[in-house]
Amino acid sequence: MAGAVAIEVRGLSKTFSGQTVLNNLDLSVDEGEIHALVGQNGSGKSTLIKVLAGYHAPDPGGSAEVFGQTLQLGSALDSHVRGLRFMHQDLGLVLTLSSVENLMLGRRYPTGLAGRIRWSEAERITREAARRADLEIDVRRPVGELGLADRTRLAIARSLPERADERVLLVLDEPTAALPTRDVERLFATLRRLKQQGHSIVIVSHHLDEVLGIADSITVLRDGVKVARVKTDEIDTDRLTRLIVGREVLRATRSVTPADVSRESVARIENLAGGTVREFSTVIGGGEIVGVAGLAGSGRELLGPLLTGRLDRRGTVRVRERVVAAGSPSSALSSGLVSVSGERARYGVFPNLGVRQNLTIGALRPHVRWGRIATEAERQETRSWVKRLSIVTRGPDAPMTSLSGGNQQKVLIARALRLEPHVMVLDDPTAGVDVGAREQVHSIIEHGLSDSMGILLISTDSEELVRLCDRVLIMSKGWIVDELHRGSDLTAQNIDHAQVAGRGARTPDAPTRIEPARNPSNQENLA
Amino acid sequence: MSTANTGDDVRVKSTRAEPMTVMLGRYSALFLLVGFLVLFGFLRPEVFLTQTTFRATLSSGVVTAILALAFLVPLTAGAFDLSVGTMMGLSLVIMNWFGTNHKSVPIALVCVGAVLICAVVGLISGIMVVRFKVNSLIATLGVSQVLTAIELKISNNRQMTGAFSEGFQNWGNRSIFGVPIVVMYLLVLALIIWFVLEHTPAGRYLFAVGGNPEAARLAGINANRLTYGSLVASGAVAGLAGVVYSMKVGVFSVDSGPGLLFPALAAVFFGASQFSRRPNVWGTLVAYFALAFGVRGLQLTFGPGTFWIEPMFQGVTLLIAVALASRTIGSTRKSRRQQLEVTAQQTAPVTA
Repeated sequence: MAGAVAIEVRGLSKTFSGQTVLNNLDLSVDEGEIHALVGQNGSGKSTLIKVLAGYHAPDPGGSAEVFGQTLQLGSALDSHVRGLRFMHQDLGLVLTLSSVENLMLGRRYPTGLAGRIRWSEAERITREAARRADLEIDVRRPVGELGLADRTRLAIARSLPERADERVLLVLDEPTAALPTRDVERLFATLRRLKQQGHSIVIVSHHLDEVLGIADSITVLRDGVKVARVKTDEIDTDRLTRLIVGREVLRATRSVTPADVSRESVARIENLAGGTVREFSTVIGGGEIVGVAGLAGSGRELLGPLLTGRLDRRGTVRVRERVVAAGSPSSALSSGLVSVSGERARYGVFPNLGVRQNLTIGALRPHVRWGRIATEAERQETRSWVKRLSIVTRGPDAPMTSLSGGNQQKVLIARALRLEPHVMVLDDPTAGVDVGAREQVHSIIEHGLSDSMGILLISTDSEELVRLCDRVLIMSKGWIVDELHRGSDLTAQNIDHAQVAGRGARTPDAPTRIEPARNPSNQENLA
Repeated sequence: MSTANTGDDVRVKSTRAEPMTVMLGRYSALFLLVGFLVLFGFLRPEVFLTQTTFRATLSSGVVTAILALAFLVPLTAGAFDLSVGTMMGLSLVIMNWFGTNHKSVPIALVCVGAVLICAVVGLISGIMVVRFKVNSLIATLGVSQVLTAIELKISNNRQMTGAFSEGFQNWGNRSIFGVPIVVMYLLVLALIIWFVLEHTPAGRYLFAVGGNPEAARLAGINANRLTYGSLVASGAVAGLAGVVYSMKVGVFSVDSGPGLLFPALAAVFFGASQFSRRPNVWGTLVAYFALAFGVRGLQLTFGPGTFWIEPMFQGVTLLIAVALASRTIGSTRKSRRQQLEVTAQQTAPVTA
């Protein structure tokens, strides 16, 4: 079967409300090869996968063939019938069910008399499938008891065809994002074995060293366009990075900025660790905006929760010499560390309360007279915030849910600002916010900053980081691997390049420690 | 409207009127109450529109209404207290036991003791919910069964008549200015709970925990302490319902508390769809008495054969009223169109 093609996609485009996400895209994967799909956040990888899975219907004009047969694009059923199998990052397992039950979710149970499930037969099928994915477990135990690596294998086992001689194209979306290094190697061994069995694999990953280690060929996407299709043995990390970022990256030599001794630090984070974050240390000065960038799985996502006490952590966090207790939001707040999360609905908004109540919830004391909340004073304050941050609302008492996402976010920022914090942690504050509101949020952040407050801005948006930050820390695999400074090397290209390249990330045992700088450069640029 | 903006900011002016059906839903209990009064007043003016009917309906509903308030408090924080009925029974059986066996103990002391014991039971439910992470529905169901057992043991599975003094029972059957005194008790209690829920930080935090527990924790609110507090308060109020019942009627039987559970819950859930659209005191009371007057009117109009009408009526009204009130902004065609217009207005100045 050498030379046969597993999937051949031609001229695929996808437009979401006028915005082109995939533009005349081609993709070709040979049978029995491991093919990697790489590109930055927003380059169209996940949209491509969702189109192939039949979740999105593409624009008319594109075509796809799977194992020589035409794939009816936009149909989940046809995608399955033609032999496409997908494994998403969250694996889609039900943790309370056993391995057998999870495997059988997508298949028909073997049944006996009166529709009785033949459990011993179901267990045999599961063990057989698990064995093909290198998984040796008690299939009757709940999946929640398995480690992440074994769960990943079970999800792979589930996507394998029922008959051993059937061939499929397995599409894995970020299978290694949450895995420790040694499990990644074991997972790759499994993938190689599946390849030997004749299956074809498409793997999406941010980690270029991993991609180069496992894939036979690579397709690079950028802004919805296929930039290149290359053989792995003809390329190295540097060239691949350049293909992904798309610009010749010239690193300006870092100009040495004199240490600003007059500015005192508002927060010291030392050896912060927890979850995927291995070590994070920095010092935030008053009036400084420190940015954090990193791809999915770099630890960037967990930084906010660890700092604000939503998740437990190791290491010390000091705000103006006051130690913040780990895992305690109220300790963080009382030391003057407040946060705003981009996941508004989950972590910020009280849907049953109005704008006014949502805004003042952090500190009601100023409005309490004789144990009673002075509603009119509270309303007055809400009005002034509404005006100051240009919040579009029916009035101070409108239901929070009647506001648009951007305006809800502004209310949450007002909630944080009115506490007059020493440090504000903004975790992707403009996620899911439209362009106009994003501009406004940015100017709120700029104008809200004072010399007594520092901001840690964690963001997936490089332009945002460049616009606002004095310096940006780049995270990869749980470590800080680079630091870019305003006025010397802080550009969106450099952020993109640094987080894709993951400099120093390949040697986690001896990480490139970037000493925390306490010298935010030219404040004038902020204005 | 209280939310009307003073107009000092042009951007705030994008108003969005509530569609008619949504508005009707929010005040459906009030319309229902007025509707029943008019309807039965028209059908049977001579028996329905009398002081006796009004006083009887109001005073017989007081105990259930207090029980509804007991259920309401933890519900604001998202916790269900299904033990309010048996807690009222517990308070009642304690009152009766002292009334029968220890007449020398001052009755006022017994009342306070009964309320305190119920508060302690609420604390136990709180421990189950907070410390042992048992779902509040299950925890209070379990507590409720244990209480039933205790009540059966104390009463020996018989009716108990505490033989309360006339002076004590007078506190439950008197009228002031023609209004039954127990209605005054209810009003005072409702005022206190309303004040705490709607006008103090504690009430604000309770609603916050009920609306989004994770966000509440991140905002520095101690959700555990609030859950404890609300369940203790719920126990105390349910105990109070028992005290008021012994003033009014006095007789204990095992099903006197649990029998009131459904009407109380129905009033709270119906009431939670009213006015501010979250569990609230006045919505609960209006909902409860709307149903009570409806039942009374039906019974007076169609005679004594209609004993089955009460649960039927409560069930059907609850279903219809809550279904109607669930039409929120955004779920009707008209409001969706308006929402689109507002979004267009919002984005217009930005792109300009």
